[in-house]
Amino acid sequence: MGNKQTIFTPEQLDAYQDCTFFTRKEILRLFYRYRDLAPQLVPLDYSDKPDVMLPYELISSMPELKDNPFRQRIAEVFSEDGEGNMTLDDFLDMFSVLSEMAPRDLKAYYAFKIYDFNNDDYICKSDLEKTVNKLTRHELTPEEVSLVCEKVIEEADLDNDGKLSLEDFQHMILRAPDFLSFSKSDQQRNGEYIHICLT
Amino acid sequence: MSYHYNEAFENPDYHNSETLESGRRKASQMNSMFRQNPYDSSPYDSYTDHDGREQRQSYSVDIPMATMQPGLEVSQSAKRWGTPNANPYGNTHINHSFEYEPEFTYTPPSTLSTVDGPFARRSSDASEEEKIIRNLASMTTRERIKAIQKMPKTMKEKREIRNKVLMEKTRKSVSYSTEIHCCTQCMYKIALSYRRFRNGLSELFQSLQLWQKTLKIIGGKFGTSVLSYFVFLTWLLTFNIFSFLVNFSFVTIPQFIAAGSNNLSFTGLELLTGAGYFQQTVLYYGFYTNSTITKIENSTSYDMQLAYIFTIGIYFVICFFSLVYSMAKSFRNNFVNPQTYSGNAGKLLCIWDFNITNEKAVRLKQKNLSTQIKEALSEGKSEDLNLSLKQRMVHIAIHLAAWIFSLGTTAVCCTCVYYLSINNLKLFMKGDGTELENQAATLVLPIVVSLLNLLTPFVFSLLELLEKFQYPRNQIYVTITRNVILKMSIIGILCYYWLNIVATSATECWETLVGQDIYRLVVVDFLFCLLGSFFGEFIRRIIGTKCLKNLGVPEFDIARNVLGLIYVQTLTWIGIFFSPLLPAIQIIFFFIIFYVKKVSLMMNCQPPRKVWRASQMTTLFIFLLFFPSFTGVLSVVAITIWRLNPSEKCGPFRGLSSIFDAVSRWIDVLTNYPRSAWVVWIYHNLIESVHFFFILTVIIIIITYLYWQIIEGRKIMVRLLHEQIINEGKDKMFLLEKLRALQASTRDTPARKGASQQFSTTSSLYQPPGQLDQQRHLSMPNYLERPLEKNKSSFSAKPPYTADFPETSGFLPGDPQRQQPSTKPGVSEALALAMRARQQAEREMEDEDEEDFRS
Repeated sequence: MGNKQTIFTPEQLDAYQDCTFFTRKEILRLFYRYRDLAPQLVPLDYSDKPDVMLPYELISSMPELKDNPFRQRIAEVFSEDGEGNMTLDDFLDMFSVLSEMAPRDLKAYYAFKIYDFNNDDYICKSDLEKTVNKLTRHELTPEEVSLVCEKVIEEADLDNDGKLSLEDFQHMILRAPDFLSFSKSDQQRNGEYIHICLT
Repeated sequence: MSYHYNEAFENPDYHNSETLESGRRKASQMNSMFRQNPYDSSPYDSYTDHDGREQRQSYSVDIPMATMQPGLEVSQSAKRWGTPNANPYGNTHINHSFEYEPEFTYTPPSTLSTVDGPFARRSSDASEEEKIIRNLASMTTRERIKAIQKMPKTMKEKREIRNKVLMEKTRKSVSYSTEIHCCTQCMYKIALSYRRFRNGLSELFQSLQLWQKTLKIIGGKFGTSVLSYFVFLTWLLTFNIFSFLVNFSFVTIPQFIAAGSNNLSFTGLELLTGAGYFQQTVLYYGFYTNSTITKIENSTSYDMQLAYIFTIGIYFVICFFSLVYSMAKSFRNNFVNPQTYSGNAGKLLCIWDFNITNEKAVRLKQKNLSTQIKEALSEGKSEDLNLSLKQRMVHIAIHLAAWIFSLGTTAVCCTCVYYLSINNLKLFMKGDGTELENQAATLVLPIVVSLLNLLTPFVFSLLELLEKFQYPRNQIYVTITRNVILKMSIIGILCYYWLNIVATSATECWETLVGQDIYRLVVVDFLFCLLGSFFGEFIRRIIGTKCLKNLGVPEFDIARNVLGLIYVQTLTWIGIFFSPLLPAIQIIFFFIIFYVKKVSLMMNCQPPRKVWRASQMTTLFIFLLFFPSFTGVLSVVAITIWRLNPSEKCGPFRGLSSIFDAVSRWIDVLTNYPRSAWVVWIYHNLIESVHFFFILTVIIIIITYLYWQIIEGRKIMVRLLHEQIINEGKDKMFLLEKLRALQASTRDTPARKGASQQFSTTSSLYQPPGQLDQQRHLSMPNYLERPLEKNKSSFSAKPPYTADFPETSGFLPGDPQRQQPSTKPGVSEALALAMRARQQAEREMEDEDEEDFRS
């Protein structure tokens, strides 16, 4: 704890600690992770808040996201411009939500956003079809996919509007025991994995 | 997101756009440029500057609007603006349109949206923000940080909120008393450094957690199901570390002080058999002294008998509670309401294991998923054609035969173990042959037991091929049940042998004998575990990849491995009494097993193909550890302590008729001391009394019954609420249809609408209050359009359905009377209708909330 770091001012670090689920060390580790993606772009001094944004291609090349079928959606949801290009803030934000410490409902909220491909704040049938295709690598026939999606909507749509609202989604997911494994281990581990790999 | 909204706010395109989405996209296009040099002044920077300026300009417009609101807020917002910015970032940009709920993105395209001027929105928005900030400022530091962390917002927004809250706090404390300014600053600094210190501590604790990194890597490569095995292993390891610490510090260390010298020779074979040299060490019961230990004359003494019995007793009590606790927690988390969402919907959306970061594993998982979905679909189709009676009979007959076979195998195994163990005892008693032969002969029993434990599960898995279960889950459960029956009956037979035959035999020190037996079983089982992962996984992989290609890479069999762990842990628990340092040996073994299994898994295995509901399986494993295993151990230990005669010539309890006599004698001694009369009273009236336990049992049964009834009631309640949600959805659809019809009928009078729109865009500063009200009315359908979704979308830490109506109803005029100014009868009628429905819903939901809260 005595090591001097000059990347952030102490106030910046405090603010990051208050806004994410990370400790000081983890924030610094994540910063280095971020910087390693493009050392020539990211300065080593963040105290004057340089305006740096890494393109999606770099973000998605991280080992934690590389093989995830939803990597593009994850990057899009957490990036400020909605196109997957990330500032350090977005980056920290993403790993904070994906970390083990984040509560389940926060995760459910972002999981909803990830599955909501067309950003209309509902998971409709086309979103579900995209999800199923990503989950199965296009191995099902279109008829099978649409059948599955219909069943899902039928089952989870509580207010009968033909699509899943955030509320429907939370209701379904938060009570499904396996979401525990989804949320707990799943995403958050990305962050943990990172900070461990850096040591 | 709201930041973009913020930018788009001044963008004329935004208000003319049909949906907010398109506006947002425009904004994002504007700043999506990727800049190489952070220090050059790119167009983006100037854009943000411009934006910030505009915000400030528009703020002056905002204040008069705020006068429509309660006075307090206005003064606050004005003051806040006036205070010098203490923001450490020097960030003077304040996001006015910060939104607590992403409500604006939910604004549906509406014909009336053009009427809805930006100012009405902004003022309500600002007030909401004020409210949040005030709420946060009133919290304690810790709560506040938690609340901020939980907000589903971008970092920038969270930071702004945080800065505002901090400013608010400092402002308050300054205005409270300016004289103690220095003091408060000092306090603030102390608090800050304390917080940093605490953060540092938590970092330290985190780094202490065992194998965190390895677990992450395993999870990343093989998914949560395999991970659950390793988590279970570490969990057992912590159990053993705890029991080792307890036993070592309270039983072994005092014994070291009183220990005599060990004159037996050490050959090396003892490591395997546990006999010989170890017989005269603290490893076994027989070595412990029955005397009281006093190092210094006339000082307080340490009674070994009591230490032994209380240490082990308290250890088991702690184990019991921690097991019950983790079991209950696991049940609560993983078996909540399983019947409601057992369907496919949840499965589909939760099934992706985001943990996996390995390309091969991802592909495998995708393949598994598609086959699973296909199976589920075909299942749904074939469900209709029922099996004929004959087919069903055949199915039942096969299952029955499989069960008879597996139970028969178990019985044969048990008989085998029983005769072997008796033979073993005879051999030991006779003691002819060389010392080495004798020691080798003792190893026969554990080797046979371990072989049976290793091979019979394979036979059972062959049965799986015969009986084709409809659902793979049933198959897993049946296999686990059979294996548990096998392992537990073998242990049961061994316990019978130890307690009924060894304990009554004419050996010198039967407890040490039992301890040695258990030691051997544990050691040999460990060796077989290593061999199992070598042959079962390594050799199997070589065969699968080199010789018989169609066999493929082996899967990691979670059930078999976990049951192995449960078996060993049961042995250790039984052994604790007879060999107090057995946990230490177990710790070493678990360490080695962890690394061996990890390496073997990484090198040889592929993720399991079966559907494996990791969360429920973990619960099942903890339950198994509790029910046959731990309860069985408790009864064995209880019999040993209350019923059996301890050995005459060894151990701490030599010379007593039963081990519990030590406690009775201690109580007799205590009766002479009036100061400890309460201990005696407790002993006589509670521990020894049958009535007390009878009453206790009755009370517990009553409580259990009450809870059972409560659960039943809740189930009904849940069903009713579920129906109610569906009905309300239908109601809402119906109302919306009506509303739309009414809107369509009033749409062809656009003149007034145009006028009011102009009003809202031009005369912003000196707008009379009535106008504002009217504007709000007109904008109402906008909010009403999807009242339920809006509430649903309000993401907060509260559980679903605790919709924050007070906040949202702030948009609405309170009394229907005020709707009169509206000149469109159609709209007002629709509004009244919607309002009534809304109030109704509000009341109902409040009721629900209360019920939720009570529960």
